[in-house]
Amino acid sequence: MTVPHLVASTPPVSLVDNKPCGDFIQLRDVYKSYGEGLVVMDRLSLDMRADDRLVIIGPSGSGKSSLLRVMMGLESIQGGTISFQGKPYIDGQPGKHGKPLDTRLQTQVGMVFQHYTLFPHLSVLGNLILAPMKVHGLSKAQATEKARLFLARLGLESKLHAWPSQLSGGQKQRVAIARALMLEPKLMLFDEVTSALDPEMVIEVQNVMLQLAEEKMAMIIVTHDMHFARHIATRVVFCANGKVVEQGPPEQIFTSPKEPRTREFLQKVLHLD
Amino acid sequence: MNYQFDFHFLTGNWGLLWDGLKVTLELALISNVVGVVLGFGLCLLTLSRWFFIRWPAQLFIEFFRCTPALLQIVWFFYCVPMLFDVFIGPITMGVLALGLNLTAFNAEAYRAGVQAVPREHLDACVALGLRPWQRTLYVILPQALRTALPVLMTNGISILQQSALVAIVAVADLMYVGKSIATEAYRPLETYSLIALIYLALSLPIAQFVQWLERRQDSAMAR
Repeated sequence: MTVPHLVASTPPVSLVDNKPCGDFIQLRDVYKSYGEGLVVMDRLSLDMRADDRLVIIGPSGSGKSSLLRVMMGLESIQGGTISFQGKPYIDGQPGKHGKPLDTRLQTQVGMVFQHYTLFPHLSVLGNLILAPMKVHGLSKAQATEKARLFLARLGLESKLHAWPSQLSGGQKQRVAIARALMLEPKLMLFDEVTSALDPEMVIEVQNVMLQLAEEKMAMIIVTHDMHFARHIATRVVFCANGKVVEQGPPEQIFTSPKEPRTREFLQKVLHLD
Repeated sequence: MNYQFDFHFLTGNWGLLWDGLKVTLELALISNVVGVVLGFGLCLLTLSRWFFIRWPAQLFIEFFRCTPALLQIVWFFYCVPMLFDVFIGPITMGVLALGLNLTAFNAEAYRAGVQAVPREHLDACVALGLRPWQRTLYVILPQALRTALPVLMTNGISILQQSALVAIVAVADLMYVGKSIATEAYRPLETYSLIALIYLALSLPIAQFVQWLERRQDSAMAR
């Protein structure tokens, strides 16, 4: 069986090198708080390689979503620095605005959200081609051709002219993933993308993500689904109180966590499952 | 009442009435274009986070909402030329007065629509790399327009009625023409009734369409 390709262009070779310490993304002492009381990233440092799939787990309010939103440029940081593909990406040091410095780099990050964010006034096709036409300057014919290709790979070619309101939750989320992929991102962020779905639709979305994983797409995933986390992650990162408490390969984190806080958290969520 | 209805006097006046109707339609249509476009812009200004943008915009709205439309028209015809030394022609001045009045009311209609766009859609726009103006044009405007459409159209019909007020400053619209025919022929009953029926015939289909649209939106919400 041939594996359909979702990643339109593979990253340049220099990005997929296997240096022991990742230089695809480097977070250094990143600080972010909402007012005095709520510190969501407390001098957080984290590295990522171009072939990494990070799954971030942790109690709610531990800054998991904030990390994704900062990487996407939706929120600013108030301290520390972030580099992306070896270039300075976000500078949160005093006097800096703490948002992406380079819009070209920013467009190489794609994000999918918890609630379906398909634009209801546009058809599936319209949703897919809007940004490629307006941001990347593709012609309508080029963009349409590309949209057809991506939908076919996701098994949604029959939905090209459907409206978002005619799709199931799982289909909407898959179209949202396709929409993000249309811009050929180097990094994909998934913010609890299956949390709002009915159980039978979770699998179809997770399968698309696994398909992406096989094509070596770099991803950062926030999820509460520990089974899926174990399946897709190259590295699991446990965050609490704005810090990375522990990280490692999924087998290690899920079977023999070193930190008592990780163990405590996993006991709670796995028990509830 | 033993009044004898007689419509014969109209035979020589159809051309006049037709000219008046054209002026009325011109006033109503152009005012609506002005109101629908500028109304959205004004709405965005009132939602600005900067006080010095928000405040004048709100003041503009309150001025048009809280003064009589008749006064606004008279003011545009007599005071704007005195203040700014411009008078571009009766129809243009009428369009200006009616259009800006409609702008103020439409801005309020748009506001609810803009605020109803989910926050995550705005986040998705950033994630897709759309610039703020692209986000406004391609994502916020179409959604707001859809929500606001029934109110925009109702406002549009009411501006068609209000356009009759320009007769007071001698713009030869349907009302003005009607008035002069009525006085010349001493037939006010026939003339004004006919004029009323024409306004009704113009507005009723649009009003019916709005009702149909609202019912459809309600059932779409319920689904």
